[in-house]
This record gives sequence, C-alpha cells and structure tokens, in this order.
Amino acid sequence: MKMFLTALRLAERTVLVAILLGMVALFALNVLVRQWGGPMAAELAWIDETVRLMNLFLVFLSAGLALERGRQVAVDTWRDRIAARTGLPLRRIIDIVGCLFSLYIAWMALTMARFVFSTGQRSPTLDVPIGYIYLAPALGFALLALRYALSLAGVVHRFNTPEPEEIAQ
Amino acid sequence: QEFTAKIGNLEAPQAVINQMIEKVGDLVSERTDGAVEFQLFPSGQLGPQREMTEAVQLGTLEATVAPIAFLGGFNPEASIVDIPFLYPADETAAQEIRAGEFGTALCESFESRGTHCVGLWPNGRKQFTSNTSMEDMDAFQNQTFRVMESSILQAQMEALGATAVPLPFGELYTALQTGVVEGQENPLDTIFNMKFHEVQDYLLVSNHGVIENVILFNPMFWDSLPEEYRATITEAFAEVIPELIEKKAEAGEEALQVIRDSGTEVRELSEEETAAFRAAMYAPAREAYLDRAGTAGQTLIDLYEEAYATATQ
Amino acid sequence: MILIAAICALAVLLLVTGFEMLLVLGLPTLVVKEGFFAALPDAVLAQKMTGGINQSLLLAIPFFLFAAELMGEGQIARRLTTLVRAFVGHLPGGMGYTTIGAAMGFGSVSGSAPATVAAMGHIIYPELRRTGFPEKFSLGLIVSSAETALLIPPSIALIIYGWLSGTSIASLFVAGLGVGVVLGLAFAVMVALQARRSGVRGDPRPSRFELWAAIRGAGWAMGMPLIILGGIYGGIFTPTEAAAVSCAYAIFVECVVYRKLGFGGLVRVTERAAIATGVIFILLAMGSLLSYFITLAQIPGAIIAGFEAIEGGPITFLIVVNVIFIIAGMFVDPNSIQLILVPPLFPVATALGIDPVHFGMIVAVNVTLGMVTPPFGLDLFVASSQLNRPVTTIIQGIWPFILANLVVLLLITYVPGLSTLLPRLIL
Ligand code: NA
Ligand code: NA
Repeated sequence: MKMFLTALRLAERTVLVAILLGMVALFALNVLVRQWGGPMAAELAWIDETVRLMNLFLVFLSAGLALERGRQVAVDTWRDRIAARTGLPLRRIIDIVGCLFSLYIAWMALTMARFVFSTGQRSPTLDVPIGYIYLAPALGFALLALRYALSLAGVVHRFNTPEPEEIAQ
Repeated sequence: QEFTAKIGNLEAPQAVINQMIEKVGDLVSERTDGAVEFQLFPSGQLGPQREMTEAVQLGTLEATVAPIAFLGGFNPEASIVDIPFLYPADETAAQEIRAGEFGTALCESFESRGTHCVGLWPNGRKQFTSNTSMEDMDAFQNQTFRVMESSILQAQMEALGATAVPLPFGELYTALQTGVVEGQENPLDTIFNMKFHEVQDYLLVSNHGVIENVILFNPMFWDSLPEEYRATITEAFAEVIPELIEKKAEAGEEALQVIRDSGTEVRELSEEETAAFRAAMYAPAREAYLDRAGTAGQTLIDLYEEAYATATQ
Repeated sequence: MILIAAICALAVLLLVTGFEMLLVLGLPTLVVKEGFFAALPDAVLAQKMTGGINQSLLLAIPFFLFAAELMGEGQIARRLTTLVRAFVGHLPGGMGYTTIGAAMGFGSVSGSAPATVAAMGHIIYPELRRTGFPEKFSLGLIVSSAETALLIPPSIALIIYGWLSGTSIASLFVAGLGVGVVLGLAFAVMVALQARRSGVRGDPRPSRFELWAAIRGAGWAMGMPLIILGGIYGGIFTPTEAAAVSCAYAIFVECVVYRKLGFGGLVRVTERAAIATGVIFILLAMGSLLSYFITLAQIPGAIIAGFEAIEGGPITFLIVVNVIFIIAGMFVDPNSIQLILVPPLFPVATALGIDPVHFGMIVAVNVTLGMVTPPFGLDLFVASSQLNRPVTTIIQGIWPFILANLVVLLLITYVPGLSTLLPRLIL
C-alpha cells in the first residue's frame, strides 16, 4: 500500500508539474510566433484548445493531492467543537460522504465520457474526440474518492489539526 | 401543458433570432391549445453552444437554435456553410438553395448525429472590419484577422494573404482596441451589438460568409410528441423565415447606419469585386472542407454546386 | 419553498460542520437535481462541472497564480517590495495605500479578481503585517482591493453587460475606471483610519543612496510589470496571454538571471501553483453547477416577479435591483448573474429613465461585491487557500470593507454623475 501510494503521488506530481510548465511554454510560443512568425501563427490555432484541455486535467488531477495535504478549502473552525459537543464522529462522516459523492461524480463523468465518445463529437482545432475532456473529472474524482477512503481508513492524515487521540499516541 | 421544450440559444434576448423563437413558441402554443410550450434560455445562460448541442444529444435540453459554424465538431459535413460566398447575394435565390435539395440534405446530415433537425434558419452574412484599410483585395495581405476555430475559415483568410488568429470571443473587443489583431468578421448586427465599430476604423460590407442556423431537437423528446404536434412545430419554424429575413435585414440596416455615424469608414463590395473575392477564396476553402468532411462532404458539395448553378443562372 | 429552505439549511449545516467547500456546494446541488429535475440524466452534473471551467477566459487564473508563486519564491517580489518600501515606506500606512494601488494597477491588465488576489496576496500580506496592520484588516484589504480589477478596464464583466444591454463598451470602460477609482479611494480612507487606530509606524525616510540602490536592485524585477502592461497596451498579447508570458519571464529571471531558483525549486513552485489552481477551480466547477440549476429553475425570474409587485419610481427600483443582485451574488458567479439578471432588469431601468451606463455601473459594483460576499465569494476562498488562513478569519476581516462597498454602491446608485460624467467629458 505504502509503495503504491508513493508511486501514485510521484506520478501525480510529475504530471501536474509537466502540465503547468507545458501550458506556459505553449502560450509563450503562441505569442512569439504571432509577433514574429508571420503566417505561421495560423498553424498554431490548436494551442488555445490544447491549453484549455491541459488546464482541465491540471485542475481535476490535483484534487486528491490537495485533499491529502489539507488544502481543499473547508470552514473547519467549529468542526471539532461540534463533534465533541454532539458526540458525532464528524471526521469519519465527512470522509464517508466525500468518498461516496466523489465516486458518484467520477461515475457520472465516465458515463458522460462514454456518451460523448459514442456520438463521435470531435474538437474544432485539435480534431481529437471531445470525450477526453470528461476523462479529466472521471480520473480526478476517482483520485479524490481514494483519498477520502484512505483518510477514513487512517492511512493518510489530511486534517490540519490532529485528533485528540492521535496526539496521545 | 403536456410538453415543455427548453430551447437554448447564444444570442442576447433582444436579438432577431430570439424574437423569432419566441414568435414560433407563441404560434405552437396557440395551435396546440397550450399543449406544447417553449421555455427560452437566451444568451448562453445554459452554457456555450458546444455544451448546449451536447445537452440536446444527451436529453438535458430539448432544443437549440445553433449557428452551424459552432457544430463542425458534431457534424463535419455541416461545416460546408463556413465556405465563403456559399449563397448568392440575392436572398430569394439563397432561400431557394436553402429550401431545396441541398438544404434538405444538410438538415438530414444531423439525423445520424443524435439530433433531429427541424429546419435551417438564415441569420445574416458576415462582413469584414479592420483597423487597416481594405480598399482592394491586395490590402488584405499580411493583415491579421480573428476568426472562429475552423480550418475552413483559416484557409479563407490565407487565400487573401491574411493571417487567421483564433481568439476567444470575449477577448476580441480588447484585442481589437489594443491591436493584437487588426480585424475580424461578423454580421452587421453582431458588430453593432458587440460595439466592435468603437474600436475599428474600416468596415467592408462584403457579405462573404453566411451565418446559417440549424434548429435541433432531442430525438427522444421529438418522438414523444404526437405526429400533429411535430408537424405544427416544423411548420411554424418554416413559416416565419420570410419575416426573419426581413427583420434581419432591417437590423442590419440600422446597425450599418449607427456604424457609419460612429465615424467608421464603410465601403461596399461591388459586384465585380464580389466575383473576384469568390474566385480567390472559394476553392481553397472548399478543399479545406473536403479534407475534413471526406466522401460524405463530397456528396453534399456536389449537391450544393448543382443548386448554386441553377439558382444563379 | 419549504424544500428550498431545507436545501439552504443543508448547505449551512455542511458548512459549519467543516465539510470541504466542494461538498458544501456539491451535495445540496445534487439534492436539488434529484428533487426537482429527476428526469434529467445525471451525467449533466459532470458536463456542467467540466464546462464551467473549460473556458479560455479563466486561463489567466492559473498563470497569474504561477507567476505570483515564482516571484514570491524567487527574488522578484522581494526586490519590487523593497523598491515600493523605499518610496512609500516612511508614510504611516504607506503599505496599505500601495496594496490598493497595486491592485488597481494589476486590475488594469487583468479582468479577474481572483487572479489579482492570487498574484498579490502572499507578496503584499507579509509587508502589511510587518508595518503593523492587524491580521484581519490586512486580509480584508487585499481581498477587497482586488475587486477593482473587475471595474478598471479591460473588464470582461463590462463587455458582457455591454453586449446584453447594447451599451457602448467604450463608455462603460471609462465609467468603470471612474467608479474603480472611487472604490479605491473609499478603501484608502479605511486604510488611513486603521493606520491611526493601530498606530501603524513608518520606516525611517531612506537616504538617496538607499533609494538608488533599491531602484538598481529592481532592474530585472521591474521588467515584470513593464512587460505585462507594455505587452497588453502595445497590442502584443491579450491579458490572458500576458499572464502566461509573465510566468515565462519570471522563470527566466529567477532561474537564469538571479540564479537563486534551481531546478528543484522550480519544480516545487510549479507543484504549489498547480495545487492552488486545482483548489480554486474545483470551487468554480461546483459554483457553475449550482448556477446551472438556479438558471434552470428560473429562480431569478420568480424573485424579480415578486419584487415587481412593489410599485415605485427609479429610487425604489434601484433599491430592489441592489437587493436582488446582492442576494444572487452570495451564491452565483459574476458572469452567470449578469446573463440571468440583466436581460429582465435592463428594460425596466431604461423605462424609468435610468442611464444605461449608470445602470451598468450599479450592476458592475454589485457583481464585484458578489466576489467577496459569503457564503460563496470565490475571492474569500482564493485568499484562504493562498494565504493559508481560515475562511472565517477572512470573512471577519472583510465585513468593514463590505460596508464601505455598500456605501459606495449607494453613492453610485443615487449620484448618476459619478458614472456618467467621465464618459461625457472624455468621449
Ligand atoms: Na480589469
Ligand atoms: Na458571493
């Protein structure tokens, strides 16, 4: 499990860094060519669409990593106080709900991707199947669901403040 | 009511197209005794055209009235309307082509794409605007024009020696103002609505491209309608076309007047020039079209060229 | 009606019990979908989520986030702040005014308030704190100053209004500049008051030698604003492209010129920017999903119809407009608000004799306000994620600014000259 997680994290981080640097390089190239490349600019019409596609993957593929690092935005000011007062295992509830929700959205995204692949819709400049854009949320929410599940199982500790019993250990 | 059709459209509520959809909705409601109602979502409230078309296929939207220029990804054959100078200048001759065998085949090409085509609607012609004079065809050399994402439109600009730059529509006003691109192409009322004349010095009334809209319904919804309601809807969309053409022309005239008064220099393409522009632009654009649309495109273009020859005799 | 209240209550419950914001927005939307639109295929959820962020105009956000991270990690930010400090550091509260000025300057290239918060936030925040501004005030100041990006041209928000209403965009841009400055001045007054209250001290006045050293030290760093401003106003690139070019320039300067940022550092910074982008965009995705169902349910139409029952002249109408926009702005993203609300309200406004440019400014100020009003004010979350502070702290800091904003809104609403004078003089 530990090795799998390490490999997964490395893969996620590599892809994210490559995507963002690639987006910058493509847009900068586009500007350079339009300014000094003359009619070559028309050859680069695919850049805007490509960068948009890369951004989609950047956004969704970072979701799981962000959750694991406690970076997904939450108003957690009152969470532990409410949990203590009501005796509800709030952190577990959040993990379970988050996992189910993410799985469902991942499934719907996959459904959407399959549907769009089946209609044969293609992108205007890259001329690739549009279905790919829905693979981004499908993958991203699957990764998010995995992190919620791992947090529930206690494999990753994503909450900014440790639980009282964790401090004791 | 028994049936409610949500209809998505990109244009602002006051645009001619939306007024006409509303009118069709009234006619349909009246003739079906209120059994079928249209619910309009203009100005891209439900998303950009690509998403609306996808939603019609998926069944989350019952219908959309869409510029075919946005549908190349769904139906490459339909991109034939991107080819410049497709229809003759005379609107009656143009309607003849649209209502004839070619128009029918174009409409039918949407049937295998998970949509039901109810008809084609004309929505004006594109004109060129620029900050560099366009006094003759040579003046286009080395100018940069923003066009929509389409290889056919790129070929069209290359044929004039100009460079086609695809930019997002929302950034176009500022890009024209600061000079990222020199010019763009759009119908008169769009130029006026988007206030491009505020940041453009020259307008060439070239009528070089048609903006053709297609009325697409979700097939499941369409099949759920009783036969008579389907006929009522199809007829209502068809019967308002003359009024649509007339209103569109009026809107164009009004827009042109305002654009003239704003100090933008307006020039109209003469008949001979139109012929010369068509001679230069049609063939390269046609080739770019066939590159993508393949043999099905060849069939459609044969039909078109026959219809064009008849209509311009 | 009861069901809608129940759904709002669910959202609030999820919010206070510490669910991630993506769940706070997503789960109630799912309930609305199943409750009211059960016939629609659920795949629409994935479609609207993806569509909401698959837009060219949003690309400025990741790029400006990245540029800010690069500048902050490397030398550019430090040298630029040294330069600014050399000139305004000795004034009490000088850093506060600089925040507003920098936001307005940045706003003159970017039409995106979140991009402005992202780009300036963690460069300026430590400086504000260092000179003695309290935590909450500093956070509130950064977030609200960024609003001016939506008013100062170029502004996508104003272009959308111009298109929907048929108003001259040139006039809107000039008016937006005026209103942006008024808003900036209002915030400046707050800085002056706060500086006195917390006894914000000034640095000792720098010597000529120190000034010169700061200017020389900023050489390459000064290229950053110069390239962005010069490139856009010189017609070389669009604002979105400027954001990407600024990243390329920052990488070049930090890695090649200053050589303080090595390969490992670059990778680390890129990864941070990527995750920050993801955190913001997933909220944008959920927000557009929510906006979609609000549009589909035609809730705004129902609210407007409810208010139409109130008979009254322009003064009452404008109060109603402001209330509707403020309520909508709490939940819906700025572009969607306009698409939904401007078409039905604009004809009423013109019928009551309200100038289209004036009405546009009222709409624009409302829309910018929506970026910072809880519960769904994107800028609040951007700041929270960028500066690593709880959203609740930022909300506590923003309240006084929202009040100042409302005062400006009232001024703009009832003094049409503030909006219409400048376009008349210049155009
Ligand atoms: Na701006
Ligand atoms: Na808000």
